[in-house]
Amino acid sequence: MCRPKVAGPVTILNQGASPGQNREPGRRRRPAIIFSVTGPLLEVRSLSKGFELAAGYLPVLRELSFQVGAGEFVAVVGPSGCGKTTLLRVIGGLLSPSAGKVAIAGQEPDLARRRKEVGFVFQTPALLPWRTVLGNIRVALEVNRVPRPALDPEELLRLTGLADFAHYYPHQLSGGMAQRVALARALVFNPKLLLMDEPFSALDELTRSAMRYELLRVWEQTRKTVVFVTHSIPEAVILADRVLVLSHRPARLAGELKVDLPRPRHEEMEDSASFREAVRWLKSRLRAAA
Amino acid sequence: MAQVEAAGGGLAPKGLTKVGRVLAEVGPSAAAFVFLAALWEGWVRFRGIPPYLLPAPSAVAARLLAEGPTLLAEGVYTLLEALLGFGLGGVAAIGAGVAMAQWRLLERSLYPLAILVKVTPIVTVAPLFIIWFGFGLLPKVLIAALITFFPVLVNAVTGFRAVDPAALEFFQSIGASKWEIFVKLRFPSSLPYLFAAFRVSVVLGLIGAVVAEWLGADRGLGRAILLANQNLDMAGLFAGVFLLALSGMGLTGLIRLWEKQVLFWHETWLTTDELTERGTADG
Repeated sequence: MCRPKVAGPVTILNQGASPGQNREPGRRRRPAIIFSVTGPLLEVRSLSKGFELAAGYLPVLRELSFQVGAGEFVAVVGPSGCGKTTLLRVIGGLLSPSAGKVAIAGQEPDLARRRKEVGFVFQTPALLPWRTVLGNIRVALEVNRVPRPALDPEELLRLTGLADFAHYYPHQLSGGMAQRVALARALVFNPKLLLMDEPFSALDELTRSAMRYELLRVWEQTRKTVVFVTHSIPEAVILADRVLVLSHRPARLAGELKVDLPRPRHEEMEDSASFREAVRWLKSRLRAAA
Repeated sequence: MAQVEAAGGGLAPKGLTKVGRVLAEVGPSAAAFVFLAALWEGWVRFRGIPPYLLPAPSAVAARLLAEGPTLLAEGVYTLLEALLGFGLGGVAAIGAGVAMAQWRLLERSLYPLAILVKVTPIVTVAPLFIIWFGFGLLPKVLIAALITFFPVLVNAVTGFRAVDPAALEFFQSIGASKWEIFVKLRFPSSLPYLFAAFRVSVVLGLIGAVVAEWLGADRGLGRAILLANQNLDMAGLFAGVFLLALSGMGLTGLIRLWEKQVLFWHETWLTTDELTERGTADG
């Protein structure tokens, strides 16, 4: 794979970064900030994945191919149990593909993961109950054996609206707040790619809706490349630039939709014709795929 | 907002002074204790039961007052044996548990052996220890350690495995090593299990020390109880037993205090208020 071309630096907090400011001429060391790249940041090519079970071989993903550009927000929807989570794990290097190829900025997923270029947010926040909010974010830095300049945890708390809760323990937080901590923890290494696995599915509807816009607010400021798995079609549409529809297991790509909504997104857009049209189209694709 | 260091807990109702809360906490059990003692006293006096069969609580209390300092010194010695044994057994068990968690082969080879020693009644092994290590402190500490070892080992091994799978996945996602996962996740996750074992073990250690003293000792509360028994000095025996029971309560109380410091985040230590207020911090 060829290395992606560097177009220009964008600091993650967009704090007065002028092009070239962070580049030291003649130094080949990879800079700490994330560069927006031309060409796909994530490339998935003919990806298949299955599991050897006692009952036989279980194919989960079949011949999946797609690309995600740098700074793009892509949502993945599909029938439950279709392998969305497996897809994220393969992309993130937690599982290896049975066939095909995944590349993150031109690297093997496992290498990208070990270089801390991939951040995960799981279905449950999975915080350590014996550590404070701040401590939970710092724990990632403590296992930093492949040193990668990290973001200031306290800055991240401000970004995710947790500044006043730094010294709270997880048992004192609501589900939504705990997921914000998980998001801040995933961002601490300033990863290129953020993988989110139904992060809001355990929340009540009101919190869930608030968290969507909260995520969008953080995303507007960081412009991470995001792959967001969800089973909620409206959630996919309001969040994403593009929505991929997976079929029933073994999952194939059953459809793809470019969301025709301007950014930044607002709650009122959920009443717009194009939002409803997108939801209707995705629903029909999903029904056909299931 | 929920406070981590909220005072009180248990059944004590809110809105009382500190003294009131303590009274509400220990009042019912103290009353029951006094009531049962009075019943016992009345029974012994009314039926004229001879003191070599069952002494009256007043006789036991009188003996405790008269021989207090001597009995207390013996008690402290036994407590020392028990605590040293508990410390030694606990540390060895956690060490073995850590090793077994790191190397599966070690667990597969040694764990069944450990079970075998565990099911062997300690009283049958204890005489050997007296023969090997004499009448002093060492055999008592070793027997107390042996009896403490297994509950801690079993719970350590269970606790190291009982981790939140999602948290484990998070650590894998950031490329943590097996050892880092152990130190940052498995060990803290096992603490509720370890403390449950400590509460059981610390009392077992006391039993181990007493049994060891029965088999041959020149000091200790166990020896004092044995001597009183041989002399049909029931008041002395009960005084010794009472002190032993107090020591056991003291030890479990200490463990609970320690546990409260370490496990403040665990469900068992959150007060009812904190549990109902759980997850209300929202911004």
